[in-house]
Amino acid sequence: MSLDNILNHWSDYRKGAEEGGHHDYEHRWAMAINLDLCIGCNACSTACYAENNLAVVGKERFEKGQAMHWMRIERYWDQQELEHPEQGASFLPMMCQQCGAATCEPVCPVAATYHTPDGLNAQVYNRCIGSRYCSNNCPFRVRYFNFYSYYESSWPEPMEQQLNPDISVRDKGVMEKCTFCMQRIRSVKDKAFMEDRPVQDGEMVPACAQSCPTSAIVFGDTMDESSMVSKLWKKHQVERGVYQKTKLAKKDADLRGYRIFEELNVDPSVMYLERVREDI
Amino acid sequence: MSGKMNRRSFLKVMGWSGAGVALTGCDMPTTVTLEEGKEDVVSYLMPEEYVIPGVGVWYASTCTQCAAGCGIHGRVREGRVLKLEGNPDAAVNNGKLCMMGQAGVQGHYNPDRITSPMMRTGGSLTPISWDKALGVMEEKLGAVNGDRFAWFTGSISGHQSVLLTNHLDAMGSTNHYVHEVVNNAVSRAVNQDMLGEANPRLRLDKAKMIVSFGADFMGAGQSPVQYAGQYAKFRTNKERGLLVQIEPKMSLTGGSADLWLAIKPGTEAVLALGMANLLLNKIKISDTGIPADVRTLINTYDITKVARMTGVAGDRIQRVTQLLSERTPSLVLAGAGVEGQAQGYSTTAAIMMLNHILGNVGKTIESAGDFPFPQLMAKQGGTADLVAFAEAANAKKLDVVIFHGSNPVYSAPKSLGLTEAMANIGFKVAISQFPDETAMAADLVLPMDSYLEDWGTQVPADQAEANAIHMQQPLMEKLNAETKGLGDILLTLLKQRKKDDYGQFEDYYAYLRNAFAAMPTSVKNDAKSNDEFWNTALQTGVIKVDSGTKTLQSTVVSFAAPVVDDNAGLTLLPSPRLGLFDGRHANLPWLQEAPDQISKVVWDSWVEMHPDTAAKMGIGNLDLVEVNSAQGSVKLRVVLLKGMHADAVAIPLGQGHEAYGRYAKGLGVNPLQILDATTDAKTGELAMYSTRVTVKRVGPADSLSIVRMGTGAGDSQVGRKLVGTVPVEQVRRTEGT
Repeated sequence: MSLDNILNHWSDYRKGAEEGGHHDYEHRWAMAINLDLCIGCNACSTACYAENNLAVVGKERFEKGQAMHWMRIERYWDQQELEHPEQGASFLPMMCQQCGAATCEPVCPVAATYHTPDGLNAQVYNRCIGSRYCSNNCPFRVRYFNFYSYYESSWPEPMEQQLNPDISVRDKGVMEKCTFCMQRIRSVKDKAFMEDRPVQDGEMVPACAQSCPTSAIVFGDTMDESSMVSKLWKKHQVERGVYQKTKLAKKDADLRGYRIFEELNVDPSVMYLERVREDI
Repeated sequence: MSGKMNRRSFLKVMGWSGAGVALTGCDMPTTVTLEEGKEDVVSYLMPEEYVIPGVGVWYASTCTQCAAGCGIHGRVREGRVLKLEGNPDAAVNNGKLCMMGQAGVQGHYNPDRITSPMMRTGGSLTPISWDKALGVMEEKLGAVNGDRFAWFTGSISGHQSVLLTNHLDAMGSTNHYVHEVVNNAVSRAVNQDMLGEANPRLRLDKAKMIVSFGADFMGAGQSPVQYAGQYAKFRTNKERGLLVQIEPKMSLTGGSADLWLAIKPGTEAVLALGMANLLLNKIKISDTGIPADVRTLINTYDITKVARMTGVAGDRIQRVTQLLSERTPSLVLAGAGVEGQAQGYSTTAAIMMLNHILGNVGKTIESAGDFPFPQLMAKQGGTADLVAFAEAANAKKLDVVIFHGSNPVYSAPKSLGLTEAMANIGFKVAISQFPDETAMAADLVLPMDSYLEDWGTQVPADQAEANAIHMQQPLMEKLNAETKGLGDILLTLLKQRKKDDYGQFEDYYAYLRNAFAAMPTSVKNDAKSNDEFWNTALQTGVIKVDSGTKTLQSTVVSFAAPVVDDNAGLTLLPSPRLGLFDGRHANLPWLQEAPDQISKVVWDSWVEMHPDTAAKMGIGNLDLVEVNSAQGSVKLRVVLLKGMHADAVAIPLGQGHEAYGRYAKGLGVNPLQILDATTDAKTGELAMYSTRVTVKRVGPADSLSIVRMGTGAGDSQVGRKLVGTVPVEQVRRTEGT
């Protein structure tokens, strides 16, 4: 979207989101992550490296904040006033939230990031010119920029033989991020198409959810009302849409479901369930 | 991409995978298969059997990244293994896989693998042929007296273990040293004495409450994926399980506790006795089966004394004990930090006694039954064998030693004098995939297949639901022509000694096929032929084995009274972590780049201290310090964490390699090196968690790779709801759990 485009159409764009979006969606992939089951073990994050050809940047570049961990586990300490964190750590698996009204999309000067009919924020690598506006605009900080070419450093021979041929390896100057394992979605959709049937719930499992030892991550299509993820969203009264709508939807404020930065009106596709602690 | 490897096929797949990404908005399928007649897109002039270009096939095998033996599925496409996932048929991991398992492919494709046999000539290792290497083996092993020959391995099970034992027999030797840094050897000894079984089934999923004395069962434990799966059930049961973790350094498991209590290191036995006192004398639970001397000992630990000695508040102890008596069945666990004390056996026994008092035996601790093939069962390691080996080497009792699956030169404390004693061993053979410290000290190095190239069977020691033998099969052709599997090497060595018995087996595969054909029909189920049985085993990766049912008898053994030094100063905790583990995974870049779960540091070593302890010494976050023990010192940076007891400092394990390839070498420090060689009197296990240290600031704060938090400002949520926390009462109302 160019600057002119933004200036002329911004309100239409926002209005579209507020009125349920301006897309004819085929799927709306979403997650429900139970933080009470997340133990912060990094299995999801490492599975993501394996599945998505993520580059290992090394110590110095990691220090500069150039790591490429699409799926990362953030760890917070609550109860900072106490001598010890008596309720343990707060772990947060954080990946692209595939926002319905994504702030990364309209700022791209070359439309390299766009909204797919699956409800995903896709990144077209060979269109990206590396302006990094999208990353700058992402409230979740889940966009990762290739400051270097990592071919030689990350995959010295024969390490490159592990690369997943279903997706590309990104080069210097390109922005990348979690795709909800788009290559897996692609193959599941293709299979369903060939068999002339809809995609079944549970058929599509991203690498992170697949590996999770406690099954904290549930993935599915919120347009399929019988899907596990739909049921969880419904059970916790979390709805698609912008703040006013979702605030009204939540009749029982004690239910655990929430979306991070709901108030920013970005309509994330990831619902988290609050961590539970027994105070003894 | 680099040019030499398989560039053509790589570009082929890249070509249409690019289309897969670019055409995501399109409704047309982008997967092109041979069946559609589009061979021109991905053409193989002569497709290999079972290979459909562009289609990944999943094969079952077994993970060997730690001793847990999880079942895996490996995705193989165009002859390369690409991705590993858990095998849903394996009850141990139920389709899940931890970070170490995921990173297995990086060990397989590691650029620093040994690609040819090497022999020490004139001080350095130089490549030789296998024929020559095996000739030297035959000569050296033929000349050595059996008493002076030994195998030194990590935990080992299945048919490899059978062959290894048979080789020792053929050599007339009984010297098999089994070494694991991350072990539960002391718990096994206590369980054997108190329950009659070393590895009973732990059922966390059946417990309503778990009190864990430093047992990191979901992190660097014996079977992390299995126990994490049980933990998930424990938390989602109708009555949500309650986890209390008591330890001097917050472990990964501790991070998920409802209540995390810091305890002064070395006083866990005192707390266990204090809790027993409350249970018997205040809550009036029957003391049946507790020996008189233990009963008397328990009576001396009243709550005031216990609170003072352990640093855990008295009201907390009372509350936790009260809940334990109410929420039955419960489960009380002892972890590595407890086992690895100078009184490790006594401390572990005192903690396990709580399960006896609370009536948990038979409810959350079950019998594993009788595994019908004891030869295949895991020979589990500990550190007692490392100590014994160092003694034997120092006393010049060994002439020929074969090392496999363990890296004692890296993991032995300097105080054991092993590095020097290695010179006393005339001929050292290392069967190894990587140039680790032990291989670099060897006289002959035999390059080993990765576990993704090799045959084998594994019998996990921790199998909580059903016993099974796990199959390991090659998922792809060998990357290097010159590597050999452990089974094949063992078979060759056996042929050198006992040609008549083993000459009939062409290779380890043939041996395994024969072994499977000879299995009792009870295990073969309904298989109509040996081939069918074999093929089914390969397809599922799991052979279920009925071990019958048994009832555990619980007895309490007498144990020594705790000895607590009130003025001990700082205790060093060399803490293992899920990831680099005991250092064996330091050469896997994904695991180096995966932040430590608690401190969030990558690619480095650090020492964890409580901010109050550090403040007293004028030490600030990320300052450079020197940690001194009687055995030596290490220099590294401080990370201040409140999940530490004030009297403890922790240095995570894994770094400080002097060899082991480009990713591991020269990074950080190895805390194992500065440990005292104190051992537990009863089991002979190293007291790894009892070394006293002093810490001195030697330099200012500097950078340290710490993962940059994106949505939050570092450690704090700064008032935003990133991770929400709700009390369990609220969830009981809304969700009924």
